[in-house]
This record gives sequence, C-alpha cells and structure tokens, in this order.
Amino acid sequence: MDETEAPTIVSRLPPAGGIAPPVTDDWVARLGSGRDRDQAIAELHGLMLRAARHQIATMSEAHELGWTRREEIVHAAADEATSAVLSRLSRFEGRSRFTTWAYKFAILQTAVEVRRSAWRRRETDLTALGEPASPTTGPEAHAEASDLGRAVDEAMNSVLTDHQRHVAVALLIDGVPIDVLAERLGSNRNALYKTLHDARVRLRNDLTTRGYLGARAPEEATP
Amino acid sequence: MSPRSRRLSSRAAGRLTLDAEPYLSCDDCFEQVDVQVDALVSGVSESLPPAFRAHLVGCAACRAEARTLLDLAAHEVGADRDTLLAHFDRELAAGTDLL
Repeated sequence: MDETEAPTIVSRLPPAGGIAPPVTDDWVARLGSGRDRDQAIAELHGLMLRAARHQIATMSEAHELGWTRREEIVHAAADEATSAVLSRLSRFEGRSRFTTWAYKFAILQTAVEVRRSAWRRRETDLTALGEPASPTTGPEAHAEASDLGRAVDEAMNSVLTDHQRHVAVALLIDGVPIDVLAERLGSNRNALYKTLHDARVRLRNDLTTRGYLGARAPEEATP
Repeated sequence: MSPRSRRLSSRAAGRLTLDAEPYLSCDDCFEQVDVQVDALVSGVSESLPPAFRAHLVGCAACRAEARTLLDLAAHEVGADRDTLLAHFDRELAAGTDLL
C-alpha cells in the first residue's frame, strides 16, 4: 500500500470473511469449545482487524505515524482485542450483537495506542501538577478572553485542587488526549474522567453562586 | 505554587463548565456502549439514555470510539450509516455548541 494512501475503511471492505457472519449463539459456541474453535478464532481476529482499521482511519493523528506504524498498531490491537474477547466470553450476555460487543474491544485498543503513539513525539511536560497552561502555547492562545472566561479562570484558581486544575487544563485547554495524560500520570481514563467531572461540578457550583451560570432545573438533575 | 491567570476563550470556558450530569464512568460507558449502539441501529431507541449521553458529551475519547462502533454496527446490518451518524451527532450536540 502506498504510504500516502488512507487506511482501509469499512465501506471498502467485504463482509467479514466474505461470508455472512454467524449468529450470536454460533459465535459463543464456536469460540468456547466447538470443533472448529481455531477457525472461529481466526474469523474473530479478522473482525478485530476490520474494527482496528476502521478506527485508525477515523483518527487524524494517525496520519502522521506512517503506514508501517499504523499497521503495527492495527495488528497489535487486533491481537489484544481477540484475547480480550476470548477471556471475557463467559461475560457476554447477548444484550447486543456479538460482533458489536467484540468490535468495541478492538476500537478501544486501537484508539488508545494511536493517541499515545502520536503524543510520544511531542515534547510536553505533563507532570507538573497545578501548572497552568501557558497562554502563548495552547490552542486557545490567541482567543479573546470572555467575561465567563475570566470568571472561570478565577474559579479554577480558587475552588479546584492542584490535581483537578492540572487535569482540566491538560484535557480541555491544552488538548492532551485523556489516555496520554493517564499514561504520563500513571493513572487511567476512568480516574481522570472522574477528576474532570468533579472539577466541572465545582466550577459550575461556584459560577452559579456568583451569577455567571443559571441554576440547574430540578428535573434536569434527575437521572 | 501561586496560580497564574489564563486567557480563556468562551469555548474553553464552556468546555470547563460543561454540565455532564448525570455522572457515568468511562468503564460503565464501555460496558453499555454496544447495547446502546445496537439500540440505535435496530431502531429500538431513537435517543440515548441521559447518563450515557452526558458521558459522551463530556468525554471526547469515549465519544469518538462510540461513533466508530455505531458506524461498524450499522455497516454490519446494512443500515444507513450516514443517517445514523448524523442522528448520533445531533443527539450529542443538542443544547451545546461545543462539539
């Protein structure tokens, strides 16, 4: 494949394996202990390759990695996802199509590795907790500060912890992908999103109290 | 460390103060994304559950991955991918100009 050619996207692919995919029960049975388990695993790996290729094709940051690295990521993600699916087979409850359930593992593996690979080339210090983003280097550098912006800035300094401020600045101002920040901080996506969520709640509460944001309607607060 | 002042645009301020309630974790989002996607693809549901939607609005990584899954799932059953993806985008964009 030419280096400049975009990775294959799903619309260019034939159905998995060129044949109609087995129904859910068939997949679970075949991958579990069926006589053609090896063939079923090979077909599953093909599905994971398809999902990985599709995910990588949607990511603009993947383009700068080059074809060879993209292929490495696709195959590694497909291998990891195949293992993940097989190890979780007993937890598949049939609430979705088997293929939809399985695809999500390959998509996640691929997306995380692309984000991390793309950012490994960047000289960014993400370890200085509490250090605000430089106004001259972020994507918002030349944006005009708004009244709300000034109020949010004040709130960030007064109601957020150093860790909350660092995570919020990195994710929402500097544009650092959450998986990259998690890797640099020795954390994970789940924990960082919780930190970000709590920071947003603190900021909203402060800005609401100060009259910059409207109060939440009671019915909106009901899950 | 003494906090410094930043110059925040309206969009940056909007991202920082986004209302992402009800809370849903990334792990719980991953657990149910296949079910929610298939519900959209099959037409069982036209809208996303509030917590799931709020999470996708607030988490760019989960949002991008859910969108890919929707595309793949739609292709799998021969559904109209463009229409489904446009519907998905509208669902998440409702009430915010940040996406």
